[in-house]
Amino acid sequence: MSVRTTTPPARPSAPRPAPVGRWARLRRSGSGIALLFVAPYLLLFLVFRIGPTIAGMLLSLGQYRINGELEWRGLDNFQRLLQDTLFWNALKVTCVYTAIAVPLTVAVSLCMAQLCVRSIRGIAVYRVLYFLPVVTSLVTTSVIWLWLYSSDGPLNWLFGKIGVGPVPWLSSGAMVLPSLSLLSVWTRFGYDMLILLAGLLAIPAEYAEAAVVDGASAWQRFWRITLPQLKPALFLVVVLEIIQSFQVFDVIYVMTAGGPERSSYSLVYMVYDEGFHYFDFGYASAAGVVLFAITLVVSLIQRWLFREES
Amino acid sequence: MTGASVARPRRRRRRLWVHAPLALVAVVTIFPFFVMAVLSLQKGRALSLPGSLFPTHINFGAYRDAFASGDMPRWLVNTAIYSVTSVVLVLLLASIAAYAFAKKRFYGRTVLFWGCLAMLMVPYHLTLIPQFILVRNLGLLNTLPGLIVPTLANAQALFLMRQFIRAIPDELIEAARIDGAGELRVLMRIVLPQCKPIIATLGVFVFLWHWNDFLWPLVAMQSPDHYTLTVGLASLQAQQTSLAVTMAAAVITFLPILVIYLALQRYFVRGVTMTGLK
Repeated sequence: MSVRTTTPPARPSAPRPAPVGRWARLRRSGSGIALLFVAPYLLLFLVFRIGPTIAGMLLSLGQYRINGELEWRGLDNFQRLLQDTLFWNALKVTCVYTAIAVPLTVAVSLCMAQLCVRSIRGIAVYRVLYFLPVVTSLVTTSVIWLWLYSSDGPLNWLFGKIGVGPVPWLSSGAMVLPSLSLLSVWTRFGYDMLILLAGLLAIPAEYAEAAVVDGASAWQRFWRITLPQLKPALFLVVVLEIIQSFQVFDVIYVMTAGGPERSSYSLVYMVYDEGFHYFDFGYASAAGVVLFAITLVVSLIQRWLFREES
Repeated sequence: MTGASVARPRRRRRRLWVHAPLALVAVVTIFPFFVMAVLSLQKGRALSLPGSLFPTHINFGAYRDAFASGDMPRWLVNTAIYSVTSVVLVLLLASIAAYAFAKKRFYGRTVLFWGCLAMLMVPYHLTLIPQFILVRNLGLLNTLPGLIVPTLANAQALFLMRQFIRAIPDELIEAARIDGAGELRVLMRIVLPQCKPIIATLGVFVFLWHWNDFLWPLVAMQSPDHYTLTVGLASLQAQQTSLAVTMAAAVITFLPILVIYLALQRYFVRGVTMTGLK
């Protein structure tokens, strides 16, 4: 009280009176209001992210019945996975797709970044165009490419003109993953290129100039200067691509539904298929846990590599 | 003298070597969009290549069909509500929480923040089924709240907002507080105005993610009149609707994103190169 009377209320810059009690102390430290500020977000996280993550792992250890009962099954689902040819096939499809799509996308992105870094004039226009597939929904992309790849589509028309019979882009088991990889290059190189371009522009020009003075060829400059300097950006792009490729779903759902004969039946498609066609939530979650483990390993390797870097 | 006159054509030739592949890739990039637009304008015509790609007549009938029959208008409205509401709520909730995480001290701050961030490591597909069960048990399947609310817990938004707010000088906030501003006032008048660039960038990306989102709307909105555009488009494709109508639906799905992208292009570029948003 005495404090309040000695400080005129007209001066807001005066120190506040020292309040007493627990709540008052919380208020003064700002802790209470801080908790109030984070509470809505934390609640959302708890209910819709952290909770479901734990629930997903628990589900993988049981059998979920449609009436809401969870029957404990231990590691049965995982044992079943190990014996399921469908699962091994899904894992193989996902790995093959990743093995084709990632190097192809990164290589194209790197070439394009190299080209873009040289041409300053008109680069803004190119960049706008290249990025367009990135912002397009994968469903839209799939619908268009389904026609481009169809037997009477323009790609086969073009091949027909040069005397190559209709290519079974999506209808042959051997062709479907390369075809989908090609599509992934189209959808994603614009994004990767931007990251690599930023990396290239960050390399001091003096390095290249010094190498030119020393008589290094363009190839030598690329291998000895550009690539080592670009390593962090390149790592980032590769890891992003691997994670993206491992989680491929939309394109497969619209274009192939996992076919022909499950030759594009990816891991995430399996999670969806087991979960929402067969309603085998426990089994689908077990496949999801495997996906989680793989993603985790990739992320940890990335972390480890980055730590080595710095 | 002679050196300069030799160098110029060579440079020009070299520029051509750079521009030719760039232009070629640009054509390859644009071609599918061109195909989509052209095919959507040829209702009821037999396909023949290359004639179909260079039509002499333009017919908007497919768009009329797409809007008149079926639930397309509702898909558009659902998608718009899903995207806009999510942008507003994510930005609002994330900035309030990020302010507290960045500038306030409270018990458990570090653990809670990194706990949220760790969720970035968990693939969405693992949480999909529990989220579905949760929303179903709450009776919120086929409702917009059921669609929107589970997607609001966005760790990337929280992280980026917090990084940005941390860079705001403490003195600025202290000064406002000494002037008698309350917490909410500090947030609204001092912190958020400083955050305009990150709010714009994040807003654009959150909009994009939701507009193009497919898997969650696919399981959360199961009856055709509740679909979003992406789910509706996939269903049109699956039902073998006529090519022109499917392409018209594809254009309708794509056009709003195109407009936003062209208008706010620099925010997209900034989002990718500076913060690694995807």
